[in-house]
Amino acid sequence: MWLLLGIALAVAAAAVGTYLRARVEANELFDYQLKEMAASLTDAPFAAVPAGAGSIGAGSDAMVVQIWDRNGVQLFLSQPRRVLPQNAQLGFSTVATESGQWRLFSALAAGQVVQIAQPMSARRELAASMALRTIMPLLAVLPFLALLIWFTIARGLRPLDQVAAAVARRSPALLTPLPDSDLPREVQPLVGALNGLLSRLRHTLDAQRAFVADAAHELRTPLTAVHLQAQLAERATTDGERAAALAELKAGLERATRLVEQLLTLAREEPGVSGSQATTVDLAALAREVISDLAPLAGAKGIDLGLSAASASTVSGDADALRTLISNLVDNAIRYTPAGGKVDVALGNDGGGVALTVRDNGPGIAAVDRERVFDRFYRGGGAGGIRGSGLGLAIVKRIAERHFADLELSSGIDGHGLGVTVRFTQPVPPRTLAQDGGATA
Amino acid sequence: MRVLLAEDDVMIGASVRRGLSQDGFTVDWVEDGRAAEAALAERVHDAVLLDLGLPRKTGLEVLLAMRRGGDTRPVLIMTARDAIADRVAGLDAGADDYVVKPFDLTELAARLRALSRRRAGRADPILAYGAIELDPASHQARVRGQPVSLSAREFALLQALLTRPGAVLSRAQLEARLYGWSDSVESNAVEVHIHALRKKLGADLIRNVRGVGWMVAKPDSEAAP
Repeated sequence: MWLLLGIALAVAAAAVGTYLRARVEANELFDYQLKEMAASLTDAPFAAVPAGAGSIGAGSDAMVVQIWDRNGVQLFLSQPRRVLPQNAQLGFSTVATESGQWRLFSALAAGQVVQIAQPMSARRELAASMALRTIMPLLAVLPFLALLIWFTIARGLRPLDQVAAAVARRSPALLTPLPDSDLPREVQPLVGALNGLLSRLRHTLDAQRAFVADAAHELRTPLTAVHLQAQLAERATTDGERAAALAELKAGLERATRLVEQLLTLAREEPGVSGSQATTVDLAALAREVISDLAPLAGAKGIDLGLSAASASTVSGDADALRTLISNLVDNAIRYTPAGGKVDVALGNDGGGVALTVRDNGPGIAAVDRERVFDRFYRGGGAGGIRGSGLGLAIVKRIAERHFADLELSSGIDGHGLGVTVRFTQPVPPRTLAQDGGATA
Repeated sequence: MRVLLAEDDVMIGASVRRGLSQDGFTVDWVEDGRAAEAALAERVHDAVLLDLGLPRKTGLEVLLAMRRGGDTRPVLIMTARDAIADRVAGLDAGADDYVVKPFDLTELAARLRALSRRRAGRADPILAYGAIELDPASHQARVRGQPVSLSAREFALLQALLTRPGAVLSRAQLEARLYGWSDSVESNAVEVHIHALRKKLGADLIRNVRGVGWMVAKPDSEAAP
């Protein structure tokens, strides 16, 4: 549409231009004609003026000839009906009369003044007809041009229409790549970028679905336990039985609650969820906070919990997430270390970046299990009858990935138990905590 | 009736054991597949309650090994609601029944009783022997329609004997029916219970086969009361 309008405007401009130019040319042409005519009349004595001279170009645009003698007596007027000034100004002049503008040319020769007059309308008409002749063919082809443009553009945009239709057919359930064969070169980068986006979306959605399925499955166990505990509480016939059953029910509810909380934490750390910004975080301060928070738990089990070394330990990252990371590691260590054991938190910089290590002297993790402990809902086989949610280390892994930190498992204190090291190898760029650092879990 | 419970979740296992014990079952609880196999090898359990998601050896593997080894004891699997494939796999592997988590303790007990009836070839839930009637669901005993009060162990002992009239059960066999691993058994506990039963139901009901064990006579023999 806009293209067509533009073309119409261009044609109009061309018409105006042609008209203006034609008028200039017509002026020159007619002025020359006037001059020639005057010359021919002055060359000959008045008597020689042909009788029919007055009828030159008879009609509205006819020329008018006046001749005066030296004394100003009019000797000849070719068209008496015409009212023209009775005076004469030598050379060209333009006068306005009742019948429009006239162009005059007066010449003095042989004692006579010869004046030739011609209406300006004649020139305008000529110019207009010239302009019209010029643009007529253009106007004639305009509809064909419009058709051609419409056809060409529709043809050119068809691949885009197809891409749009293909995108419209996509839904969360159908995120297959768009067909990218037989595409014009201009559209290919767009389709490539869209396919990249679709593939990332698909992976994120798959990860989310797997997570929800896992979560639903894992929630069933504590809920089954609560269900059974509630039935036992219902059946209880004595106060003592009822109190014991209710205590177990409470423990079951606490376990279910803790699992839900951990699921929420993990969901927050899933790719594309957390939007927090990186700030400068003092890991030593965080570690001290976590240790004082968990000291009562350690104390209840008679575990010696402490911070053994804390050198330069500033990293950039999400303070809340890093607190969760340290807390999960220390909590795990306390959970799996038998009463009277020891849990050590250490911070240092061994050249490869800031490293946070949590060591214990508990049962440790067998080498065969070490690869899987960071998997969601993986629980070590027969870890002294202790059953966690199976999420603690998975959360640690996600947070470490977001901070581009490496995780290492080693043996713990004096070669016994477990040691987990989180090494912050590269600074997190400010404002951009990795949203999809590493592959999805 | 002595049941082997194989369940890896501590809270679920503890609750099921307590609930079934209240219903008169003797329950032994193991937390992984290997322990379950070791317990099955003892041949003291009448039925098995099997969770399919056991560590070290899955419930399905335990079940397949049982059936391949000719073990025909009833197996009831405990599965999750959405795991239809698990249930089908379990039944096809030789399970007799299933319950879906979360399940009802009363229903679980009823299904175990039904399995035990079927195994004994009976359809009638009431175990009848002469004038004696035992209702395993309500733990009621009647003689000629009159209720007789029996303790849980007395009831279990009588049930064991009446389930297979004519069979002689040794002291060890009876103890295995009555006591789980966690129960301490007095050396003369079985004699004490039999003495009490004879007192309540008549001296000639339970016969002593000297040096072997105890039995009740087959109903068609002249010794029947």
